[in-house]
Amino acid sequence: MRTKILAALVVVGPALLLAPVERRIQAERKHLKYGGIPVTRQVREVIGQGTAMALLAGFRGVVADFLWIQSQTFWEKREWLRQYRNIELVTLLQPQSVLFWDVGQWHMAWNIAYGARTDPANRTEAAGIKREREWQERAREFLQRGIENIPHRYNLYFAMGWLYWQKFSKWQPEAYARAAEYFGRALAFPDAPLSIGRLYAHALEKAGRKRDAYAYWKMLWENKNQPHQAWNVVEREVKRLENELKIPENERVFLPSRP
Amino acid sequence: MDAIRTENLTKKYALGWRRGKLLALERLNLRVREGEVYGLLGPNGSGKSTTLKLILGLITRTEGNAWIFDVPCDKVESRLRVGFLPENPYFYRYLTGAETLEFYGRLCEMKGAALRRRIDELLELVGLAKARDRRLAGYSKGMLQRIGLAQALMHDPQLLLLDEPTAGVDPIGSRDIRDLILRLKAMGKTVLLCSHLLAQVQDVCDRIGVLNLGQMILEGHVNTLISDQRRLSFTVQDLPADGRARVEEAVRAAGGRVVAVEHPQTTLESLFLDALRKDRRGMGHHD
Amino acid sequence: MTERVGFSMGRVGTIAVNTFTESVRQKVYNILLIFALVAIASASFFAQFSFSEQLKFVKDFCLGALSVFGALIAIVGTAQMLPAELENRTLYTILAKPVRRFEFVLGKYLGSVLLICVSLLIMAVMFGGVLWFKEHKLVADALAGATGVPADELPQTIRQIRAEAFDSDLVKGALLIFVKLGLLAAVTLLVSTFSTSMVFNVAVTLMVFVAGHLRGPAAEMWAHRPVALALLAAVPDLGAFNVADDIIIGNVIPWRHVGLVAGYGLVRIVILVWAAHLIFSRREI
Repeated sequence: MRTKILAALVVVGPALLLAPVERRIQAERKHLKYGGIPVTRQVREVIGQGTAMALLAGFRGVVADFLWIQSQTFWEKREWLRQYRNIELVTLLQPQSVLFWDVGQWHMAWNIAYGARTDPANRTEAAGIKREREWQERAREFLQRGIENIPHRYNLYFAMGWLYWQKFSKWQPEAYARAAEYFGRALAFPDAPLSIGRLYAHALEKAGRKRDAYAYWKMLWENKNQPHQAWNVVEREVKRLENELKIPENERVFLPSRP
Repeated sequence: MDAIRTENLTKKYALGWRRGKLLALERLNLRVREGEVYGLLGPNGSGKSTTLKLILGLITRTEGNAWIFDVPCDKVESRLRVGFLPENPYFYRYLTGAETLEFYGRLCEMKGAALRRRIDELLELVGLAKARDRRLAGYSKGMLQRIGLAQALMHDPQLLLLDEPTAGVDPIGSRDIRDLILRLKAMGKTVLLCSHLLAQVQDVCDRIGVLNLGQMILEGHVNTLISDQRRLSFTVQDLPADGRARVEEAVRAAGGRVVAVEHPQTTLESLFLDALRKDRRGMGHHD
Repeated sequence: MTERVGFSMGRVGTIAVNTFTESVRQKVYNILLIFALVAIASASFFAQFSFSEQLKFVKDFCLGALSVFGALIAIVGTAQMLPAELENRTLYTILAKPVRRFEFVLGKYLGSVLLICVSLLIMAVMFGGVLWFKEHKLVADALAGATGVPADELPQTIRQIRAEAFDSDLVKGALLIFVKLGLLAAVTLLVSTFSTSMVFNVAVTLMVFVAGHLRGPAAEMWAHRPVALALLAAVPDLGAFNVADDIIIGNVIPWRHVGLVAGYGLVRIVILVWAAHLIFSRREI
């Protein structure tokens, strides 16, 4: 009996001394944004005790994946609100996952929005369009939250730019300008793909900033450190804009083609 | 030097909350001399296992002391010169015979060619050479006892403690084990054995001690203890029919009393083993 | 006159290897076959999702299974070690030799660690194999035009598939899983030094497992109850070892943090093995 008490002390004693180490680990985890949201009582109520336990045991990814796969079946059954709820839940569980924010907003703004517009239950075409735009707005707001969670990677900025370019350009005048703004933010990251640069230039032009677009294309042409660049596209755009903007010969990259 | 010496060795077990203590062994003074075979007898619960465990340091003593070859039993060094075969051992079912011995050999810090030689020697000695690569799960009871003896002998100890070495073994196996014990004695080793099979103890032990309820109630040389000093037994052969009456008369004339006249008996065990030996198909089990 | 018997790492090693061999031959490895099935299944379905999603599923499910099966092997394997030795009487034969009790406890524990390590390695190889096949298939599909990616984007897409499939940071996640399993085995070892019921050993370890993960929420619930908090402190913070989820979604994990958590785990293990030795060395068998 005495031995057991001694052993218990041996276990508890040093453990108390380890408390600062544990606090340090938890602080680092918080700083590195590991573990997603803490499993508070509200969360447990939403997802149930069993799932909550699975989360705590370190199966956050698996739980999120299951919910994500389930959202796909909701899509197939056209239960969009359920699909949306799962998407929200998944990003709540793994807010550091670019994938879920990105594909989630894509589902909302592209797939669900289209489904809502073409839904036979719509009484008028205008009603359909209104629903579509609601879903696109919802997607934009969702993606905005994504960016707040993951401001340190290019992906969601690009996704936002693409969302503005593809969807909002149809019904919002500022869309191309916003697209250009977000492409620009994505380009600040060293691992942003080269295609974003080209899209940025296109967006500038579509937003009415032709000069800025030309300046950017010219910069791309002159930056020879990009072996994978689509040189034919860059060359074509530089030539075209030089002609359209009537750039003087001595400032041009390409001499004007003789008729 | 005494192989084993105990002085007032006492063991009390606590029985848990407020149920007091069990006196398993009370002031045992045991001396097992080097080179003898000592039988420790007694009913279940008499303290035999407790004694063995105290000697081996598996449990701690409450009072008193114990030594193996003058080394105190609570020191790990005391076990350098002792080998132990527990009651009903199973060992590691999934190891082969040779692997089992290798394991125990390595525990005694044996290695390399010396270890391999010793394994071969012992397997030969206990008659398990043919079964060396079979897993212990496939061994019979007799074979398990024999591999148990082999592991006890791995580091060539001077003292052997055997707890029920022939329990559950068939007569042939028993005879083999007893022959082995006698051979070990001839090699100068000391053996302390516990057994319920009193006929076998009688065959093999020089001295015995009887424990009951934790106390030693009888101890001494077997032959002295079991022989009835007051009586003499003549074994006579080729006596004609009327000779018997004349012998009985002679005894009465000398002042003695004829107590019994009967044909001497061999033992059932000898009869059994002889019958098997004479069977031309051979003796022994499907090993 | 009598020689001194010192501590021998050789004896510890002998016991460790023996423990490992016994466990292996007891068909512990059948469990690994189930893992193989899970791994293959996780990679075979879900073709309707993008390659990023498919790779995430494979990694999550395989590492999750690795964690679960590894824990089963660690806990159940260790829980039956001492009870089995007692039942087979092998414990008596070992301790009757000049073997120190500490050598025995340490040897048993290291045997368990060896079992866990080899099991994890085998599962990791299977996991790697599945990832390799998956990556091949995804690249082949992309090249065949199945993903609708324009030709000039293909090299980048393929690079991305490769990067996501063979993320070397997964090793860090596996390493911390290994330390966590070693920790659970140490808990089981400690409990088995004073209890010979395998069921009890497993049950207590599972309770520690649950408590270890509940430290976060529990700490907030019991912030004003120091005794409860002290008891909780005895239980290791197991949530700290769960980094696989974050690695899979692309969160960066520096070696420094891995080292800190692994070091914490090792200290906890040493404490537990020391306590196990304390109890076992005084135990009457």
